[in-house]
Amino acid sequence: MAFTIGPAGDTAMRLSFQEPPSPRLTRLLLQLQRTAQDYFFNALSDSVVGYATLTLFFTPLSLQRDQVAAWLEKTARSLSDSQETHAAHSKETVVLPVFYDPAVAPDLVTLADDLGMTIDTLTTLHSATPYFAYATGFAPGFCYLGTLDPRLKTPRLSTPRQRVPAGAVAIADQQTAVYPCESPGGWRIIGACPVTLFDLAATPVSRLAVGDSVRFEAIDEQTYCSLGGKL
Amino acid sequence: MDPLALKAGQHCLGHCAGEAAIEIAYGNVRATPSHDCAMVVTGAPAMLLIDNEPIPTKSIQILGAGQSLIIGPPSEGIYSYLHVAGGFSTAPIFDSRSTSPREGIGGLHGGYLRDHDVVPLGDSVPLIDTYRANPGLCNMEQRAVLTLRYVPGYQYDELAPALIQRLNGEHFEVTAKANRMGVTLNGPLLKTGVESLLSEATCQGAIQIPPDGNPIVLMKDRQTMGGYPIPGAVIESDCVRLAQVRPGQKVRFAACTPQEADNIRWLEHHYAETRLR
Repeated sequence: MAFTIGPAGDTAMRLSFQEPPSPRLTRLLLQLQRTAQDYFFNALSDSVVGYATLTLFFTPLSLQRDQVAAWLEKTARSLSDSQETHAAHSKETVVLPVFYDPAVAPDLVTLADDLGMTIDTLTTLHSATPYFAYATGFAPGFCYLGTLDPRLKTPRLSTPRQRVPAGAVAIADQQTAVYPCESPGGWRIIGACPVTLFDLAATPVSRLAVGDSVRFEAIDEQTYCSLGGKL
Repeated sequence: MDPLALKAGQHCLGHCAGEAAIEIAYGNVRATPSHDCAMVVTGAPAMLLIDNEPIPTKSIQILGAGQSLIIGPPSEGIYSYLHVAGGFSTAPIFDSRSTSPREGIGGLHGGYLRDHDVVPLGDSVPLIDTYRANPGLCNMEQRAVLTLRYVPGYQYDELAPALIQRLNGEHFEVTAKANRMGVTLNGPLLKTGVESLLSEATCQGAIQIPPDGNPIVLMKDRQTMGGYPIPGAVIESDCVRLAQVRPGQKVRFAACTPQEADNIRWLEHHYAETRLR
């Protein structure tokens, strides 16, 4: 697998694979991240997995660029050649209940119309298959899930909303996600999930992690409300 | 936003455990302590009054219980820091007393301080003369054009050479769209023709170019993931300078090697350490 290594500002290094995103690539990035955490230990202040990148943040002035680049080169090479790295571990699928209804999903009706399908078909397609968690970020607990059925592929709103409520289930391009807290956002909202995804009192604080398998399950209004969902 | 000003105040008051200070944008704050305490204001130079009497700026003052401290608007710069001996003792989250208002996490109640808020003070430490550091330490030198040195990286090699030439050769202006998340610049449009890329980690100082062509330099409270092309990232030292300039300031970009960035960091680290002792 081809990759490049370069600086990300003056305290971080970035490894980027020239390869389309896939669960296999993400598992390799996660393996690399764990290896780097063990190897660099305290010198590493943070590390972030993207769709095709791993960014390692170092404590300022502790970064020996040549050494890090050589280590990354060698480790990425040996891990990408190893078969074990890519084996999916038998993680349980996280099931998230979703109330698909125009009452909580302002884009549902127009989107179904744009895509030339009924709301039922749209929500059935969205909840049919499990998704893979490619990355977390944007907001605490926000998890980029893919890959959406090509029939649901849709552009972002041309003007993002100032306020997307917590729990909004949304799609954009071939990705889907649940907004863990109220924030601005340009994805199209097709449902609402009553489950808390980010909780400072919980361990871990985020319900979803990179590498997880996530499936959506349609629920009715009564179930949605009994699980704490707001209309 | 200005770690040097934060550090200067911490050193002045003998704080060595990363005690919290209150960051104030554009001044205009009134505060009254419940007991006598030593305090200092660092960063953007603001007029200070105790019970309506002007006091020297950039010096350690004793603020008596019930006295009213007024921090006026700064004459230049944006961010001032109010330090009180012993620091503030709000509950730390993830080992930090910072506030992230966008997420409603940390600080007093997860948001900006409001009128009538009561912020708990930490246990005061006795002032020792050797801690008389220089509270004036800051990055407030005025320049007609502020140079932002950046380390090329990310999509630098994939962007058109003409665009990189523009980035390096022309002047940009700081707009009013500037906050703890990022500083939007105005100037020659940098049209990348790229709507979005695969999301990946951003870093401090990253020069993010959205489709409209106006670059945004990402600051401390940036989003952790981004999907716009980035030709490189401004070094920390110049991010601090950028944080303290006001809308209308002219800036230019200058590429530097990571080694040069390290040298600058070493020098400034040394400078701060010697000026603060």
